[in-house]
Amino acid sequence: MTVAAPEPKVNMGNPVPRYDAVVKVTGRATYASDMPLANPAYAYLVTSAIAKGRVESFDLAGANRVRGVIDIVTHENGPKLKELKLYSNGGYAGTTIQPLRSADIAHDGQIIAVVIAESYEAAREAANRVKVSYTAVVPSATFDSPGTTTAAAKGQNSQFKEDPQVGNFAKAFEDAEVKLTASYDTPTQHHNPMELFSTSCAWIGDNLVIYEPSQYVYGLKNGVAEQLGIDADKVRVVNPYVGGGFGSRGSMTPRTAIIAAIARRLNRPIKLVPTRDQGFTIATYRAETRHEIKLGASRDGKLVALRHEGAEVSSRPDPYCVGGTKTTTRLYACPNVDSLVSIVRADRNTPGFMRSPPEVPYLFALESAMDELAVKLNMDPVELRRINDTTNEPIGGKPYTSRSLMACFDEAAKAFGWSQRSPEPKSMADGDWLIGYGCAATCYPTQMGPSAARVRLQRDGRTRVEIAGHEIGTGAYTIIAQTASERLGVPLEKVAVFVGDSELPPAPVAGGSNSTASTCSAVMMVCDQIRQRLFKAMMPNQSLTDRAKETVGIGQTPATRAAKSDRSLDLEKAFDALGAGVVEEYGEWKPEDAPPDSFQAMHSGHVRLVGGHSLKDKIAYAFGAEFVEVRVNRFTHEIRAPRLVGAFAAGRIMNPRTARSQLMGGLIWGMSSALLEATEIDQRTARYVNDNFADYLVPVNADVPGVEVILLSEQDDHINPAGAKGLGELANVGTNAAVCNAIYHATGQRIRKLPVRLENIEV
Amino acid sequence: MSDNSSSKRSGFDRRAFMAGAGIALVPLTARAAVQDPTPAAAQDPALPVEVTLRVNGQDKRLRIDARTTVLDALREHIGLTGSKKGCDHGQCGACTVLVGDRRVVSCLTLALAAEGQEITTIEGLATGDHLHPMQQAFIDNDAFQCGYCTPGQIMSAVACVKEGHAGSDEDIREYMSGNICRCAAYPNIVAAVKQAASDIMKG
Repeated sequence: MTVAAPEPKVNMGNPVPRYDAVVKVTGRATYASDMPLANPAYAYLVTSAIAKGRVESFDLAGANRVRGVIDIVTHENGPKLKELKLYSNGGYAGTTIQPLRSADIAHDGQIIAVVIAESYEAAREAANRVKVSYTAVVPSATFDSPGTTTAAAKGQNSQFKEDPQVGNFAKAFEDAEVKLTASYDTPTQHHNPMELFSTSCAWIGDNLVIYEPSQYVYGLKNGVAEQLGIDADKVRVVNPYVGGGFGSRGSMTPRTAIIAAIARRLNRPIKLVPTRDQGFTIATYRAETRHEIKLGASRDGKLVALRHEGAEVSSRPDPYCVGGTKTTTRLYACPNVDSLVSIVRADRNTPGFMRSPPEVPYLFALESAMDELAVKLNMDPVELRRINDTTNEPIGGKPYTSRSLMACFDEAAKAFGWSQRSPEPKSMADGDWLIGYGCAATCYPTQMGPSAARVRLQRDGRTRVEIAGHEIGTGAYTIIAQTASERLGVPLEKVAVFVGDSELPPAPVAGGSNSTASTCSAVMMVCDQIRQRLFKAMMPNQSLTDRAKETVGIGQTPATRAAKSDRSLDLEKAFDALGAGVVEEYGEWKPEDAPPDSFQAMHSGHVRLVGGHSLKDKIAYAFGAEFVEVRVNRFTHEIRAPRLVGAFAAGRIMNPRTARSQLMGGLIWGMSSALLEATEIDQRTARYVNDNFADYLVPVNADVPGVEVILLSEQDDHINPAGAKGLGELANVGTNAAVCNAIYHATGQRIRKLPVRLENIEV
Repeated sequence: MSDNSSSKRSGFDRRAFMAGAGIALVPLTARAAVQDPTPAAAQDPALPVEVTLRVNGQDKRLRIDARTTVLDALREHIGLTGSKKGCDHGQCGACTVLVGDRRVVSCLTLALAAEGQEITTIEGLATGDHLHPMQQAFIDNDAFQCGYCTPGQIMSAVACVKEGHAGSDEDIREYMSGNICRCAAYPNIVAAVKQAASDIMKG
């Protein structure tokens, strides 16, 4: 075992190397823009240089003179596409702002023309020669910009139904012995996955193949079909490997149908590889947020009142919000809770999911406030969490299916050396460096969605698993293979897994950390169907009573019981008994509490996730605790984070290797979010300023010295058959607050606005 | 920037480089830039030029636009798609290949400028089914997740060891900082480079 492959504890799978490891280290993994196309033409986007207004005219003369130019598509000659509908409104798109439909411009960097040429170089040159005359209108950039409008999220966003409330907050806060009121801000951030937002489209007769990095191939397939007005069965989306998602590829963007329509018109495959800066405006992002937290507590630290008010920026037409109050109002025991989420509309592209959408900004506010409260109470912040730990969420009183929050705090505190901390701010130093220790809780809802799978088993043990899941770096191939291998009792190397193709049985979006629970539960179920057929063949002498049971559906036959148990199968004997060479099964699994239209929705590319607080009589979350050491130079104010330690409990850990890697990456994401990442917006023009990898800071190797991930054993039999809680979005939730809490400890300065840069430190 | 190995240690930091070069805050690709008129046909860069690239020990004769980068030549004309486009600006390192022993960001290197030199890509690293020690070390240490930056990381890592910059964790972190991994597998990448460096030294 290496550090990368931790020894499995109770209820953990084996830390086997990744299924896709060899293709990924040899350059043979084929991402969307790697797919070979026969005689492709190359597309290059022209994007708007203003954020609001209209295109008055194009001068295409210079562009058309470039050798190799085939076509220049604008709103004047653009493809006729059906209107986009938002995914939350029965559609598939992450935005309803639809380029090339009219001369109107709704945001900076909106697609206004697509140049098609024989080569990438010619397309790029011609795009740069497109001259555009605009009529510009002064845009509203963000919070406090003139012209924005603000309204409660409830009532306009169909996925934000309620502002959670309980008890009488106003009175309890007024009467509280200790009170805290504080405001927090989080910045605009862009996912910046390494793979660009590429799209290749090729028509074979009436059938369309799309190569595009997607976190939801069924959504994209159905969405593009709807926009083109063709049968969804004629559209196929293929992406066996996705170069990072982080939420940016969860819903359809407008580019895909545009490229598909141009490819049809030109009767030629089209390849689009947009630039890094275009990715800032043709896809989604995490919008900036503002928060006000009010906490009231008794002197001994018990919360008596909690209010969380959040505001989020969205685009003019789309009421997107993340509404993290659903989590922050339920995290700690508190009898009087109030909350409100508002949406502020500005002239921006529509925001969307970004890794841990609701929890990252909202827990930054709550977990910073908890630290501030601990200071007011003169109490250890870990103990404050312990005093307010709960087995039932306070809004509806529903029990957590399992909750290892304090076990995580205790394990991580021990590994970190929390007891070595001297609580007074500015009391620890090493030469010119002020040292600070900080901590925060982290959590993420356990979600699941309906999923289908097809499994084929051969007499020699060779197994083929087909499921339209997504390998975005999470280890999907690996854990699906492990699940089938364990359930069927065949060697891992005999299992072949196929994901990332909309011709395969549908799986949910790879978002909301649901994939492991959903896909593995489906694969387990279908493997059990195979076992059942084989056991039945091997156990022909069932009694009449057994048969009767089976017929009227009471109880289970011995073969069924055997199939669902861990009893091993002699494959050769079973196949001989069955008299077949191959057994193939297809099945559809849905979680408890899934809505009645789940399977129908699953096939048409609509997500029906359940979990978190939305379960009927329980609430399911994964938890963790994070500790950070920061060092702040007392002269230069440079901030470093030499140590990040996190302990996490997330039900069954399918593979400690891939789980650890994802949590490690999450911790680094969290540190990055606290100290580096922000998309700067020009307030006058509502344009993104730092839209490239040199100016939008993400961590490089030198920024990340020490990360320790501790996986806790946890068993939860109340969530899904796989017993897994998602963990892809768990680790980067608490880190923002942990870093700021550590900076407070180092410097005595409380910073409530992210990211923290050296110019914000005033030691 | 296209030649990492010749950069001084301080200049090796991607951010220090960009700030020093004064490029910060200026968008590098014009959106609908206004430029005048078409160049004379005789100088038209879109007219194909002949170039022979030596890639992984094989000569590849190409007729390409003179502005084609090594990266686009590999990906669009030779069919070697292992080297990845992550920014096309030399900022992310996903396209890193070796030119001779030097690591080079192939998106900032014109194919014409690489003629006559030995180019090694990720596809040329393994010998048949026998992985290069760096590839094996990346597997053993789970030094990737989505895998998109991985070819660039591995090529960079091979050069990092050859340059003698894999002597300590701190050195590895510093000299591997030209390659962004958005999944943030960094600690595992350091472990992989360390393992491979020791394997390579042992021969």
